[in-house]
Amino acid sequence: MAIHQFLTSYSYGDAIGNEALEIRNYLREQGVESHIFALFYHPKYSDQIINYLDYDKYSDPDNIVIYHFSIGSKITKKFLRVPDRKVIIYHNITPHHFFLDYHRILAKDCYKGRIELRSLSDKVHLALGDSIYNEKELIESGFKNTGVLPLVMNFSKFDVPVLPVFEEMFRDGKTNILYVGRIIPNKMVEDVIKTFHLYQKYFNKNSRLFIVGESRGFERYYSAILDLVEKLKVKNVLFTGHIPEDELISYFKIADIYLHMSEHEGFCAPIPESYYLNIPVIAFNEGAVKETMNGGGILLERKEYLSAAAMIDKIISDPGLKEKILKSQQDGLKKYFSNKTGKILLEHLEVLKG
Amino acid sequence: MPEQNNDSNSPFISAGKDIDVNEIMEHIKKRIDEKKESGVLKQKEIDEIENMELQPLPDFLEIPNVYEQHLFSEDIIKNYDPASIELESDGGGGPKGLMKKVFRIIRKPLMPFIRSMVRPINNELKAQINIDRKYIHQFAAGIEYIKLLHNTSNNLIVELSKLKIEEELLKTKIKVLEDKMEFLENRERAIEKKLYQ
Repeated sequence: MAIHQFLTSYSYGDAIGNEALEIRNYLREQGVESHIFALFYHPKYSDQIINYLDYDKYSDPDNIVIYHFSIGSKITKKFLRVPDRKVIIYHNITPHHFFLDYHRILAKDCYKGRIELRSLSDKVHLALGDSIYNEKELIESGFKNTGVLPLVMNFSKFDVPVLPVFEEMFRDGKTNILYVGRIIPNKMVEDVIKTFHLYQKYFNKNSRLFIVGESRGFERYYSAILDLVEKLKVKNVLFTGHIPEDELISYFKIADIYLHMSEHEGFCAPIPESYYLNIPVIAFNEGAVKETMNGGGILLERKEYLSAAAMIDKIISDPGLKEKILKSQQDGLKKYFSNKTGKILLEHLEVLKG
Repeated sequence: MPEQNNDSNSPFISAGKDIDVNEIMEHIKKRIDEKKESGVLKQKEIDEIENMELQPLPDFLEIPNVYEQHLFSEDIIKNYDPASIELESDGGGGPKGLMKKVFRIIRKPLMPFIRSMVRPINNELKAQINIDRKYIHQFAAGIEYIKLLHNTSNNLIVELSKLKIEEELLKTKIKVLEDKMEFLENRERAIEKKLYQ
């Protein structure tokens, strides 16, 4: 028996792609044959990823095929046609209304995605959400056999030193605030900027904001964000774009606070990553954020930018509070170690074998 | 927009059990009040920032390429017939009842003058209608030409708008590249500094 995975797109640094890779590696370590099949992937990954149209060569009714579902795509049809036992891992679909003003095609794909999700409800053997929040959505969509598979987190990649050049450039006494994620409308990057602007203006002029993530496909949103930065005259905001992993890790390591104001999250991987690196997290309580925070960090219940800015100031200026937050984050981190997630996945799949 | 906890009395943050949320809230409130009292912070400014919305560039797809249908509906062109135009008759319209009678009495002695003044216009209009009837096909062709002109100018405006949007997006890209260049220059300097150390 082999366990294969279907993905709509595989790209470097993408949380779903990373998870698929981690699952594949874990399964191979356990002696299970496993491959990843995708619709879109960069040719340089062709040694790791196989075109989904070639799946027929691998298909077998004894196999289990896991579909990472996050958007409407033609891979769904292929998934439904194969005779293998079917499992989906639901990573959540961003509500289409966030994209209406910025990306009509994506808005359409997200809308279609939710329809496709409902159509899968009676055709898969098992549906797993990567959070309780996502599992709830699966149940609401009509899935009977559901479960939770926490996102596989590989923290070992963070066990490297900061790039010396980053030390030189950014360890200059400024308070570094970090946001990691794509520059897309549901992430509310404008709220991160507004909060930072108030913090910089009224609490700490010696501060800097890193916005780490790509904006490809959302140029008009990015342009509006840059316009806002200009209007507010915010200083020391660095948009890094898409960066290699070693640089991402360095940004995490030089950050003093992780700030997240997103209004839709199915999981939010940068939160446990910040926990692991001992960065106090302040995040807006929406979607699966509270569940991902797992009792750690500071949750914002309302969007009050000035109060959020004052909260950043309080954490920076009160080492005792920072210590308590970091302790709560360490407690919250315990559930995220990858060996446990791999075990949970195999336990779920064990039920299918029976 | 997600549902937010808008109860201003409830704490705006929540945290683990070891963290005293009320103490933090009190501290935050005190800090903000201090800044307000000292005049550093103005509520109006905060409100302005809170209400500030993003102003994205319009989407290409939202700009219609033709508006022919809206401007020259086929029904209007097909139903256009100069013969159906009626000139106002002497007895039609105008005030009614007692007022009408009064006007008629006043107008009666003036009728020869009115007729002599109106008749040339009336004749002119009738002649124009006859010309219209004769040249209706040329007139329809003229409508087609005007349609074409309108479409051309509309398409020009659309293309110019698209170019403007593209220019703005290119400006953004240039800004991004400039920022990257600046970052790389800083990085280069930092590497040099590190090496010389």
